[in-house]
Order: sequence, then C-alpha cells, then structure tokens
Amino acid sequence: MPAISVTLRSGERRQISAADGSTLMEAIRDAGIEEMLALCGGCCSCATCHVQVDLQADPALAAALPPMSEDENDLLDGSAHRGATSRLSCQITLGQPLDGLQVTIAPED
Amino acid sequence: MAQDTAVRIEEYDDPTYDPFSSDEINFGDTRDPYPEIARWRAQAPVLEGDYRPRMGLSSALYPDRRMFTVVGTEEILEVLTDTGRFSNAAYRFNIGATFGQGSISTMDNPEHGRWRRIFQKIFLPQYVKHWGESIVDPVVQDLMAAFLPRGAADLVEEFTIRYPFEVIYRQLDLPRADVRTFQRLAIGQTDYMHYDKASEAGRKLGAYFTALVEERRRHPGEDLVSLLANTEVEGEYLPEIVLISFLRQLMNAAGDTTYRGTSVLLTALLENPDQLEAIRQDRALIPQAIEEALRWDGPVAVQLRMASQDVVLGGVQIPAGSLLDVVAGAANRDPAIYPDPDRFDIFREKRAHFAFSRGAHICVGQHLARVEMTRALHAVLDHLPNLRFDPDKPRAEIRGSMMRVPKHIFVRFDA
Repeated sequence: MPAISVTLRSGERRQISAADGSTLMEAIRDAGIEEMLALCGGCCSCATCHVQVDLQADPALAAALPPMSEDENDLLDGSAHRGATSRLSCQITLGQPLDGLQVTIAPED
Repeated sequence: MAQDTAVRIEEYDDPTYDPFSSDEINFGDTRDPYPEIARWRAQAPVLEGDYRPRMGLSSALYPDRRMFTVVGTEEILEVLTDTGRFSNAAYRFNIGATFGQGSISTMDNPEHGRWRRIFQKIFLPQYVKHWGESIVDPVVQDLMAAFLPRGAADLVEEFTIRYPFEVIYRQLDLPRADVRTFQRLAIGQTDYMHYDKASEAGRKLGAYFTALVEERRRHPGEDLVSLLANTEVEGEYLPEIVLISFLRQLMNAAGDTTYRGTSVLLTALLENPDQLEAIRQDRALIPQAIEEALRWDGPVAVQLRMASQDVVLGGVQIPAGSLLDVVAGAANRDPAIYPDPDRFDIFREKRAHFAFSRGAHICVGQHLARVEMTRALHAVLDHLPNLRFDPDKPRAEIRGSMMRVPKHIFVRFDA
C-alpha cells in the first residue's frame, strides 16, 4: 500500500494511501480529491490528470517512475502548465517502489 | 486545390433524390427536452426503456433487446468510464452500419485505443490551433462577406450550417468540382427513412475516399487525408477500413455537431444580450462562453452503450446485451453540479461539462471544435456590431430531442 503525498492547488498537502496496482490518478480520485479531473477516465486521451512530481524529496523515486510514452508526451505538450517534472497521473502505476512519492496537482488548463 | 483527375466521385443513380431530410424525422421538434429529463431523474437515475419514445419519437431500429435510459450523473460517469462492463459495440447497429464497421466509435479497448491514438495525435490542441488561422478564418470571412453589406442575415443558413462543412472540404483538400456530390452523399448516409439511398451513399463515399487515399499516398499534401494516410504511432498505420470509416463519419462527427453547437452558442448570446455585450468588452470571456453553451445545450446529448455482462446500475438489474441511452445532457443540467442549471450563464463557476462525453471515447475532435467556435465568435464580434434578433422575423428556436439546433437565426446588425 504505497503512501503518496499530494499537494492541492491551494497548497494544502494530503497523505493518501493507494492500492497496489492502481494508477496515481485513481488513487488521487479515490481519495476524494476531485479538483484533479480525469475526463477520459485514465486512457491517455486528455491532459486533465496532470501532476508535477516533486523530485527533491527522493531522487530514487524518479528512477522508479515508468518511462513517458510518445502519447503522454504529446498530450502534456498541449498543456500551458507543463513543467520539467510533469506527468499524466493515469500513466503511473503504483507499487512499493513508488512509496513516498510526492506530487502537486498542476494548474487547470 | 489538388487536381485529382484520377479520382472520380459518383452521384446517386437517381440524381433527383434530395438527401437533406428534415431533422424533425430524425430528432423531432421538441422545444425543450430538459424539464422532461429532470422529471425522469426525480424518479430514478436509471429507467427502463429507451430515450426516443420518451421524447415522442419512434424507437431506433435496434435488434430486440432490453433498453434503459441513464440520467443520474454518477451512473452516467460509471457507464462512460467503465469500458469493461459497458461496451461501444452498441454503435455497430447505427454508426457502424452508417459509416462502416471500422468506425472507432464501435470499438472497445484495446483495439479502440490502438487506432484512436493515431487520430488523437493529429487532433492534438497544439496542432489544430494552427488550423484556426489557416483554414477556419478564411472560410468564415468568405461566408460573412456575402451578407455583411445587407445589415441582416440568417446566421444558420448563411453561416453556421455552412462553415464547418467548408472547413472539412478544405481540410480534405476536396476538389471544388466534387463538393456538391460529396455533400449529397455524406448527408445521405444518415437518411434512415430511405435506407437504400443511405447504403448507396455509404458505398459510393467509401469508394471515393479509397481512391482519394490512394492518390494522396502517391502525392502527399498538407491536407487531412494525406496526414491520416501517412501518420503512424510507434510503427502502426491506420488500417484501410478504419481510415475510410473515419472519413465517412467526419461530416457527421465534425460538421453536423459544430454547426449545431455554434448555432446554440449564438442563440444563447442573442437571448442574453448583457452576456454578449460583456464578451464584446472582453474577448477573454470567449472560452468560458463556449464551454457554457456546450454545457447548456450541447449537440450530442445522448451516448449509446451495451452492457457486456449482467450489471446493476443505480439499483437496477441490467442483463448482458441490454442497450443503454446514456443521457450526458442530463449531467450537464444536474443542479448538484451546476446551480440553477437551466440558466445560460457564462459567469458561472467553472466545472467541466459532459458535452464531449467522458471516458475512453471522449470526443477526439473537441479541441478543433473549440477552435472553430472561437474563430466563428471572434468573426461575429468583429464584423457584426450591434447584433440583435431581427424584430421583423421569427425568433430563433432551438428544437430537437437530440442534436438540437434552431432552423434559423434571423439577425440585424450595423452594416
């Protein structure tokens, strides 16, 4: 059950726990954090589940993230808020290696 | 314009046939379906029976099976996002039959996603925004030039019903000589009252696109057909049947919808002149005006799904194989999400709407739709000062149980 820290747009930080094998998007939505949308339901067909990964916390976590696909990259390019650590949370499947991951919900496009 | 002398388009065997069948036959002339929808929701989120008869229309021609109508927001979201239990195979009966069974609307993941991602790549927001300047603006300017000097117009017949189709013709780089027949065939595909003509249209349009695709593979251009024929994602190209079905569906998916959405947007602004004036003063309000028009009365109010297994939805037992009319338009008017939902209000709190649906099949053309509506609205604001309903003509009335639109928007403006 990986523990994830999620910073909301207000700056509020929440600790959530995720089921092994769920995506980060699902974990965030299941925790009742509704401000992050997932309009396509997690199919890599929109860019509304956009998060920024806080990599200072633990650089080893960056290595544990799955590589970014061409589709995900294209969709993030369409966001006005893409940063160096932007990911679509529906593309990150959670497990023990990502325990302690810290993310911030990106501003809405 | 491409000189595709090798590509021939074939007219109907009967050239006197008129494919422009009335919306009344397909969608009815319901002035406002939303109060009725709200009454259903007050009863239950899921009800037995299909949407059309509830709206006073004949049932669609599906095989004999149980039908349900879904109007609760939670249940709508569940159906649209749970593709494992709720399948798009339902669309084989109408969209597939009409445009070809290669239509991705008829498919489920993983096959659906495999092809959708290729279309998605072409319609990415960062790409389609360029079409605003290169394609949409010139189309809009040309159409407006025809009526600007008059100080009066029917913004449907002279503008909204024409510009999205013109945009498609230019995107496809259709030879000008083929446009009339192309439009007759494209519209005829959905003339369900004359099914022999609909089949003929589908066959002939399929043949035309097949030849056009071949030509554009030999001599690729910058047009949409060339792009689609030559785009690959991670080594995969679109199979022929998927590509041809998509092109056949394009007029309906991209033209019909955008014309209706734009017509509703303009009608809503004319009915709320204070909001129109606010946008005149501040063009930065255009995006939220478009979103509000789509929420308030978007064209595709209902999606069709099939239960791929026995399910319980909203407390109702639904056997496998049942068809579900998922009324996304009901979610758009849910007071729990949008306070005072029946009011058109561009200033309401921003909440994502359902007009492009949700889930895996969320509209792949949504970014282009927004670009087109944005350019159209800019042109209206730029060229039609003091725009108001024409006091000497009937007021615009949005009608239909689905794909709602006003037949005319008679206006006056300062020439």
